[in-house]
Amino acid sequence: MRSSRTAACLTAAAVAATTLAGCGTGDGGSILDKETLTIGVKADQPGLGLRRPDGAFEGFDVDVARYVAGKLGFAGADVRFTETPSSVREKVLQEGRVDMIVATYSITASRKTKVTFAGPYYVAHQDTLVRAGDAAIRNVRDLRGRRLCKVTGSNSWRRVTEERRIEAQLVETSSYSDCVNRLAGGGLDAVSTDDLILAGFAAQRGEAVRIVNAPISDEKYGVGLPKGDIDGCEAVNTALTQMYQDGTAGRLLGKWFGRTGLRTTNSVPQFEGCG
Amino acid sequence: MSTTVQHPVGQGGPLPTPAGPAGRPVPEASVPARRPGTLKRIRRRVHLRTVPARVRALALAAVVTVGVLFGVANWGVGNARTGLDTIGHDAGPQVVATGDLFFALNDMDAQVANVLLLGRDHGLGRGRDASLRLYEQRRTEANQALLQAAQLAGDDPTEQRTVRAVLDGLGRYERLAGQAMQLDQQQGHAAGPPSPPVQALYRQATDLMKLELLPQAYNLTLESGSIVRKTYETRHSAVLAGRLWTLAAGALVIVALVAVQVYLARRFRRLLNPALALATLGTLALVVAAAGLLGSLAGRLETAKEDGFDSVLALSRTRAISNSAYADESRYLLDPVRADTYEQVYFDKSQAILYLDAERTKSLGDYYVNLGPAVEQFKPEGGSEVTFLGFFGDQARQAEPGSQEARAVAEVLAGYRAFQQQDRDVREQVAAGRRGQALARHLNAREFERYDAALVKLARQHRATFDGAIKEGDQGLRGWNVILPGACVAIVIGILVGVRPRLAEYR
Repeated sequence: MRSSRTAACLTAAAVAATTLAGCGTGDGGSILDKETLTIGVKADQPGLGLRRPDGAFEGFDVDVARYVAGKLGFAGADVRFTETPSSVREKVLQEGRVDMIVATYSITASRKTKVTFAGPYYVAHQDTLVRAGDAAIRNVRDLRGRRLCKVTGSNSWRRVTEERRIEAQLVETSSYSDCVNRLAGGGLDAVSTDDLILAGFAAQRGEAVRIVNAPISDEKYGVGLPKGDIDGCEAVNTALTQMYQDGTAGRLLGKWFGRTGLRTTNSVPQFEGCG
Repeated sequence: MSTTVQHPVGQGGPLPTPAGPAGRPVPEASVPARRPGTLKRIRRRVHLRTVPARVRALALAAVVTVGVLFGVANWGVGNARTGLDTIGHDAGPQVVATGDLFFALNDMDAQVANVLLLGRDHGLGRGRDASLRLYEQRRTEANQALLQAAQLAGDDPTEQRTVRAVLDGLGRYERLAGQAMQLDQQQGHAAGPPSPPVQALYRQATDLMKLELLPQAYNLTLESGSIVRKTYETRHSAVLAGRLWTLAAGALVIVALVAVQVYLARRFRRLLNPALALATLGTLALVVAAAGLLGSLAGRLETAKEDGFDSVLALSRTRAISNSAYADESRYLLDPVRADTYEQVYFDKSQAILYLDAERTKSLGDYYVNLGPAVEQFKPEGGSEVTFLGFFGDQARQAEPGSQEARAVAEVLAGYRAFQQQDRDVREQVAAGRRGQALARHLNAREFERYDAALVKLARQHRATFDGAIKEGDQGLRGWNVILPGACVAIVIGILVGVRPRLAEYR
């Protein structure tokens, strides 16, 4: 891909450099042309993107990113992971500090104006986590009057109390890991957010908590790329299709979330389209 | 300037060393012996000490530049032809056909939901028989589109596997849907939710459709659409480069012809060589025509791809997503257990079609309220301030104010708004406990059909733009496989005719 584009540009430049000044550089090129790949992941989400004590990252997102990078032709040594908190994701892509983001990054129409999304590589659903012994909560409506975790800065609780107008008692906490601790300890009754995030915490808790399996939304986790990198986006989509076809996706979902009782989808999600 | 008169080139100098007897290669030893003579001849050619040699060299240079002109113009035209063929006649229409697969599958599932919702009240809405007929028709369409997709997949193993997976899944889906409809008919219920076992069967079928078949069908169109995009980008830039090269090569030919002309005028004291002058004018005309053609072909390719193909594909997706949103309204009424989920996916699909700012639009209720003011901002005659995104955001921004297309977009937006109003009525009646009225409102509504018809009309306009651009491109190209070589041969003949009498003076 690189050689043909370079050749085309050289040819064009030879004819009239001035009239074709925009050739190939307007969109900053493609990640496919890079020698190394810097991938942004989360560092604080067990099961998805977590920094281990030795500094390396692990989780479903990290494994997906590694698989995709491999299919794009990057050797393991040429791939570098870095933490990208939610608030800076668009910024680091625009500034070119990160080439690709795989970090529970939901595709939305407003984000699509700033970022090109490949994938989604998985469609997560907002679901509810309860104590294993609590059989009374079977769907989101059963949260009426129960104590629901509200994490500062997260919007998940709004879907329950604002969108669906279910009168749950909100208990404010600072993070989802704090929510899950309090849930296990009996300090609150339910945590509602993306099922993969819940499953990641649930996997650490073993038998103490359970996922209700009553999804109330579709969260399309996309692979964020610099705006306009259509070639890169199409290549990532092909890699993701292969990841589902060759069974890797099913294996990775089993590896990270299999023990939690979460029903995962093991066939390829509907892509958003690169254009 | 040298005045030494010599034999015309080719007559002087030692004769080339004769080759060995026939069939035998020349012994290597004879090669060094030949070298001085050859070198000398080359040197003489390069130095061009004689007038005829210079005339010949200038004429040869002019002929070579004509050859270059032919080469680059032919390359540009060839790229335009390949681009038009791929986008207009080959992959382009096939990709559009696979886009219909997504619609057909969506509508199959929508019709099954309708049949189950109707129960034994066969006459409500479209009616059970009409729904079943439509189901069969969509299945046929889906099979046809899958055939196209299989062809497009070629020998790409990833796409081939996707086509096979959709075929397999479709078989499983038909079995589940058939079982659900059969069981439902045996149980015979009044219009409204069917029995729990039927609901359970339908849940399996619709999950298979939603989670496996539809995503793969959608991705197939995206993947094969990338063939068209790549062809377009390569060919479009090649045609533009071809135009620049043609202008540059044309300028070279003219410089060479003028050089011959000037040399002959000076050397032979003639004012104008008519044949060369004609060749020069002919070159000028050819270059202007060829560059103009390439420029217009690049424009046609762009129109066909950006205004035609992309929009046709986007609208085909919008139509399918709208149709499945309408089916989510049926499913919402059909399956009370999952009503929340179906309402949520209905809202998500609405946001995909026409996206309203998420900060102010957090729920379907907000969406109903904010849709009207947002849609009113679009003014087909100009002065719109489009704040919404999604498929219709793109369409609204693309449409040129005052154009037929802009009016069609306005019609679509009005239809969409009416459809959302109908949905609001249905859900409000359900919330108020009037399920029967909600069901009647849903089944007898014509808003969706009107909206769908407006969408089809807009898509047809883009299709016409696409077909028009391709046809104009084809017409522009017509005859160029004769014109270009013909004109170049004529120019070469002009050059030869122009220099021949002058060379004859030296014989």
